[in-house]
Amino acid sequence: MARHLPLAPLATGALAAVLTLAASPSTGAAEAPIPPAASSTLVTYSFDDDTLAAGPDTFAVFEKAKGRVHLSSAFRYSGYRSVEIRDVAGDGNFPELQGYFPLRDSGTLYAHFALLVADPGEQLNVALAGPEWFSMKKGGIAFWLQTRGGWLCQYSDSIPMRLIQVRPFAWYLVDLAYDVTAGTYDLAISEEGRSDPIVALKTQPNAFNEPGSPVDKFSFIGDNGHDTSNVDYFVDDIVLTVDRPIPMAPFVAPGRRKLFFDTWSDGLTSLSSKPSCLPAIDLADFGLGADAIEALKGDGLLPVLEDLIDGRPARISDRGSPASVRALQSVLLWKGGCGALLSGDADTALERFSKAKELLPGGTLFETSAVLSLAALGRWNEADVRLAGLHAAWKDDPRLPLLLATIGLARSDLDSAEQPLRASAARVADDPRLECALVALSKNLDLPLVDRVRARYPADWRSCLDAALLPEEYYHVLLARRSYSDAGRYAARMASRLASMNLPTAPWVEKIGDAAFLEKDYARALARYQESAGRGRPGAALMLKLSDVHHLLGDVEKERSYREAIYGSLHEERDHPPDRNLKEGTDADHP
Amino acid sequence: MTRVWYILAGSLFLSVSAAPALVPAAQPPGESQVAALLLPSPNVDALRALGPGVLPVLASLYERSDETRRTSIAWTLYSLGWRSEEAKRVLMRDVHTDDTNLRLQVQWALGRVSNDPDVVETLVDNMRNDGNPLFRDKAACALANDQIHLTEDQKLRLYQRLIDALSDERLQVREIALKALQIQTGQTKNFDPAGPLQAREAALQEWTRWLDTYRSHL
Repeated sequence: MARHLPLAPLATGALAAVLTLAASPSTGAAEAPIPPAASSTLVTYSFDDDTLAAGPDTFAVFEKAKGRVHLSSAFRYSGYRSVEIRDVAGDGNFPELQGYFPLRDSGTLYAHFALLVADPGEQLNVALAGPEWFSMKKGGIAFWLQTRGGWLCQYSDSIPMRLIQVRPFAWYLVDLAYDVTAGTYDLAISEEGRSDPIVALKTQPNAFNEPGSPVDKFSFIGDNGHDTSNVDYFVDDIVLTVDRPIPMAPFVAPGRRKLFFDTWSDGLTSLSSKPSCLPAIDLADFGLGADAIEALKGDGLLPVLEDLIDGRPARISDRGSPASVRALQSVLLWKGGCGALLSGDADTALERFSKAKELLPGGTLFETSAVLSLAALGRWNEADVRLAGLHAAWKDDPRLPLLLATIGLARSDLDSAEQPLRASAARVADDPRLECALVALSKNLDLPLVDRVRARYPADWRSCLDAALLPEEYYHVLLARRSYSDAGRYAARMASRLASMNLPTAPWVEKIGDAAFLEKDYARALARYQESAGRGRPGAALMLKLSDVHHLLGDVEKERSYREAIYGSLHEERDHPPDRNLKEGTDADHP
Repeated sequence: MTRVWYILAGSLFLSVSAAPALVPAAQPPGESQVAALLLPSPNVDALRALGPGVLPVLASLYERSDETRRTSIAWTLYSLGWRSEEAKRVLMRDVHTDDTNLRLQVQWALGRVSNDPDVVETLVDNMRNDGNPLFRDKAACALANDQIHLTEDQKLRLYQRLIDALSDERLQVREIALKALQIQTGQTKNFDPAGPLQAREAALQEWTRWLDTYRSHL
């Protein structure tokens, strides 16, 4: 997408990975698991029916300035409506219809859509892209069409190539068959009323000639950043299919296949008081980007990597490029470290995780595992500093609460001896001498904040950091133990303590709401979420929780209102909302 | 929300028609007014609000300033990103200066005030022949990111020069030329600047073929 939603890591990484697994029951709504159904159709929008719910698993609409994305009956290729995208030059932004579908990193993706342009002299862009969004690299844009100077151009092998001169107000049907592995596509374009295609290209290199460039999103925009386009164009009949059916989890709420807390719930089953490795849900966890994955594929070593991750017997030969062998060795080290950690040999585990990180420095899961080893060893000073670094890197990762809970459990096995952790956490909430911890806690914890705390409290910054991390760990331990009432009460104490010091309380008020949500007390959760939102600019996660809770309370309008505040909506021009500003604090003043 | 499409603003699809639009002409600002907006640090928004009439004034001030203020004005011209013959003329005088700060700002600003062929030629020359590796590197950065007013024909010439530089005897020149090409095109064509000559020549042929294809589509 042109804009990277804060929840993108969930939508494209963790959540996408989870979606490929068997669906678990939704936190609040579903009573029994609904198995995913295999389907070869990823996306189909004719824009005629009323099931056009924007969301993380469908599409987003961006109308930030004067540009518009509207349903229109003025022109349509089929049915009675299409989508009109209208850009306005010089307004500081661009409108966009951006769609999401499960990641395709192999096989063939077929895309079809109809396009009508009012003024071909104005610029528009259409793209298929992957986890690297709309960038010029593997995993970025794979397919790119653009109008320029009256021509429809494709961008193949980094070269803009003219295809046809576009006639105004004529429908063009675009059919694409993208071979992901080869990184090539066949492209056919037909004009309405003509039997033969006017473009019929075979085996075109993708946008940046990157074999194996995966895709998981599409986008229709005006110009791509120069803010010079006044394009007005119409899109209809978007259909994306694949050659082999894939599991598609059912929708549990409009626009989404999981509620926010479903991912959290999925991870609870693996939690124990003994630190153990968190699951890998994306190859990026190991610092493996698209290039590295492609190299592994090219070397025929991807199955070996999958075997290693899944714990199946695998042998690393020295065939393959040095980078591929290094990747396999690092994952092997990580897996061995996980085994050592599980068997109680945290020293060996730490050594292996450190070596794995040396081989693949970008692997956050290696660092996470090292922190867990340090926790198992009781080396809290080191664990806390490194945890603070992860805190920022994993801010939107659904495994962060699990990590915090695991570490909290390592500080004190709550099954047998909850008191020490409880007492320490309680002290943070109540002891006025722990001002530094509260200052750290009330902001977004990351390494720069650690540096600031270190500068401000040079004598006791370590104990301060330790104390700052305790409350969240304790809170998540309580959630993990399903002691939701205790978690809610503790969060309330923390919020109260921060408020008495005039420090920001919104994150802890939100946590009160989370505990209530998990208790299925949706009305109380709603109240706390609204309170939290009213104390600062709410992030996308909180907005989604608000949407979820309204959905569970049966308030269709407000569920939609909050969801659309993030993902926008498709509507006709006469229904365009007057203001889409996110500065709401309560439902009353929410758009 | 990040506007990721925007990173493509420097991509191949950039053309003159896509260059930043000039703001409507306004009353030419006075020199004292412009000078005041440069202190204590340039107020780019306020200068932009004055319109393109500030450009000749900035160029004039530039000519009469010490190196510190010339550096500041070069940065201002870079930030405005408006084409200006006067600005190009005065900046070109410092394109070989040994003053590090000034040199870097001038190299970065030139492509944002002009698409005259001698701008690219001079920057390529700096990238390949300057005695200071930092200046060579930053000239390559300017070629990669800041040639915002080039026509398609001019883009082609830029690619030609960068591809030529892949044959340079110096490893650093090959590295930075490849980096500039990669930023411009998203590709390396498997060119390894440190690889053996035979492998480099094979990859270079790939680039040459690509350039021919590019030319055929103009």
